[in-house]
Amino acid sequence: MAKQKSKMAKAKLSDEAREAKERVEAHPMAVPFLWLGRKSVQDNFIFLPLIGLIITIVLGLVFPPEHEAPWDFFASWAVIGFCAYSAVVFSAEPLFKLLARDENYYGEGSDNG
Amino acid sequence: MADLLLHLNPGFYFIFAGILCALLPVNIVRKSLLVLTPVFAAFMIFQIYGAQEVISGVISVGPQELITLRIDRLSMVWGYIFCLAGVLNGIYGFHERCRITDSSALIYMGAAVCGVFVGDLLSLFIFWELAAISSVMLVWMGGEGAYKAGIRYLAIHVLSGVLLLAGAVIYGQSNGGDYTFGNIGIDAPGGKLMLIAMGIKCGFPLLHNWIQDAYPKASITGTVILSAFTTKLALYALARGYAGTDILIYIGALMTVFPVFFAVIENDLRRVLSYSLNNQLGFMVCGIGIGTPLAMNGVAGHVVADVVFKGLLFMSMGAVMLRTGTAKASELGGLFRSMPYTTVFCLIGAGSIAAFPLLSAFVTKSMIISAALYSAENSHAIKDWIVLAMLLFASAGVMEHSGIKVPYFTFFAHDSGRRVEEAPWNMLVAMGLASLLCIFFAFPWGGYQFLYSLLPYDVKYHPYTGDHVVFQLQLLFAAMLAFAFLKRIGAYPHERRAEILDFDWTYRKLGLGIVHWMSEMWTRLSVNISRVSMRLIKGTGQKFYHIFSPAGTMSQSTPSGFAAVLTAGMLVVTLIFIYIGAS
Repeated sequence: MAKQKSKMAKAKLSDEAREAKERVEAHPMAVPFLWLGRKSVQDNFIFLPLIGLIITIVLGLVFPPEHEAPWDFFASWAVIGFCAYSAVVFSAEPLFKLLARDENYYGEGSDNG
Repeated sequence: MADLLLHLNPGFYFIFAGILCALLPVNIVRKSLLVLTPVFAAFMIFQIYGAQEVISGVISVGPQELITLRIDRLSMVWGYIFCLAGVLNGIYGFHERCRITDSSALIYMGAAVCGVFVGDLLSLFIFWELAAISSVMLVWMGGEGAYKAGIRYLAIHVLSGVLLLAGAVIYGQSNGGDYTFGNIGIDAPGGKLMLIAMGIKCGFPLLHNWIQDAYPKASITGTVILSAFTTKLALYALARGYAGTDILIYIGALMTVFPVFFAVIENDLRRVLSYSLNNQLGFMVCGIGIGTPLAMNGVAGHVVADVVFKGLLFMSMGAVMLRTGTAKASELGGLFRSMPYTTVFCLIGAGSIAAFPLLSAFVTKSMIISAALYSAENSHAIKDWIVLAMLLFASAGVMEHSGIKVPYFTFFAHDSGRRVEEAPWNMLVAMGLASLLCIFFAFPWGGYQFLYSLLPYDVKYHPYTGDHVVFQLQLLFAAMLAFAFLKRIGAYPHERRAEILDFDWTYRKLGLGIVHWMSEMWTRLSVNISRVSMRLIKGTGQKFYHIFSPAGTMSQSTPSGFAAVLTAGMLVVTLIFIYIGAS
């Protein structure tokens, strides 16, 4: 527990040091939003869609669909969204193995840097 | 004079301005023309079109009558959005000093505007080809690496034009010389040829590769301009000629799905957006196939929304490329620190394409999906439900490539350490205006109602019903949750530099390989043929020499009986040949 606390304190310290450096380099309009770059914020981003999803699932009971598709059931759109997105992401690795070649495969160089 | 202007296709103003730009050395005058010409053209459309269809500018070329101006509710939508895109593109490219880009951009826009406002197929063909020829300059302005892509782009578009002309001639001849561009249908003579021609320009599956090949290689401004016109002109042609053609429903559904799988593994973010463009075109092609008034309104509305939000996304990637020199996801990240305005504009574009409530596609794409749902409800056919399921799957897929991938890997993700300047003021103004339009077209109090007033049919669709908002958010939040979850467990793939093979491999590698092989084989064959024929000629000559030369067999003393038999034999053979020849 103490180890974890010291690890978190270290991470916080490094975040603060990084942000202090970034404050000098960043665009003035971006300074109030530098916290978006913190690791803790990026790690905890998951709670934003999770809360949004729970609220909309509950609201789905209040506003049932006017036109139902055969696959409509409780929270069906959430299931479709999650599964479809996951399917696309999980297809990436096998597709990359199958279709990826060296950047200069066609002998025309790589575009866009 | 004023009366004459009312009979002139507004696209001609762009073409005149484009020719003028080619001659003008003063940059500021050219830039002013780029912004003011679309404003003037839009004003003229407003002046010409009342409530009724306008047909004018009829020119006789030999026995043929060309209708150079036809404005009705369908073409008017495309005309206005092309002018709007022209203004945004003009502002976006204000910093660039390139006479070729300015001139070809205006001629290209003019060809597209002329294309939607002509009333016959032959005139359409002329502007179809002019759009191809003028736009290839924008590809070539992308630099040395764009040359070959430009050649391929030109070849494919010229082929599309040739098919259109062939189909139009067959269609016109079967109609007694009437080339009027109205509803054609796939079963009409020449109908299939014209559908393929439009399909090439529209990015049908397997005919789509020119988009991902040429657009990412064009210049920064060029890509933004290209994204607005060519494919939308083809969509107009499809909407005019093939509304309600069943096969388009399935082609469109396929178009929405397959680009999602390529976009997820692509590292070049401008190519990701090109796949995304293909995906959005799929929704519109599907809507044209359904062909009901709601679907057609959805198509026209989504064309307006797509030109703006897709332009906005390409603009933001262009701004990033201008400042960092790259659009590779693997090289970017953390740019929100340096380019905060561009980040916000990109997020608005991403939210719009993903169809978040209060952003444009929430209204327009939903009309197409609702039309697909009503169509499936009425028909109870499994194939229609499958189409609907494909559209829903693609909606979640859009969230992956354009909603999350593009903004996340550019502006957030890991910090690439790049500290660059914010985009130039003109780019920010263009992106700001596009962002405002993305919000305006979905604004519940007067915004989407204004968009509805432009659509070809009267609209009774209400986008902000409780169930629509809730279920759309459910889909999008679930997709975002999946992203965050997969990222957290390390299952989300890292961005890697690579060339991703697509169907263009068949002509860029396989086809080219076959041509090289055939050329090599032909060279070898011709060498061997000449060697064999030389040997044959030489051998025959030697044989004759041995027989007939002064030292040959015939000159040697032989028994007179044998010589007589030989001569008689030769005489018989000669007589047989003469006999056969004479008969």
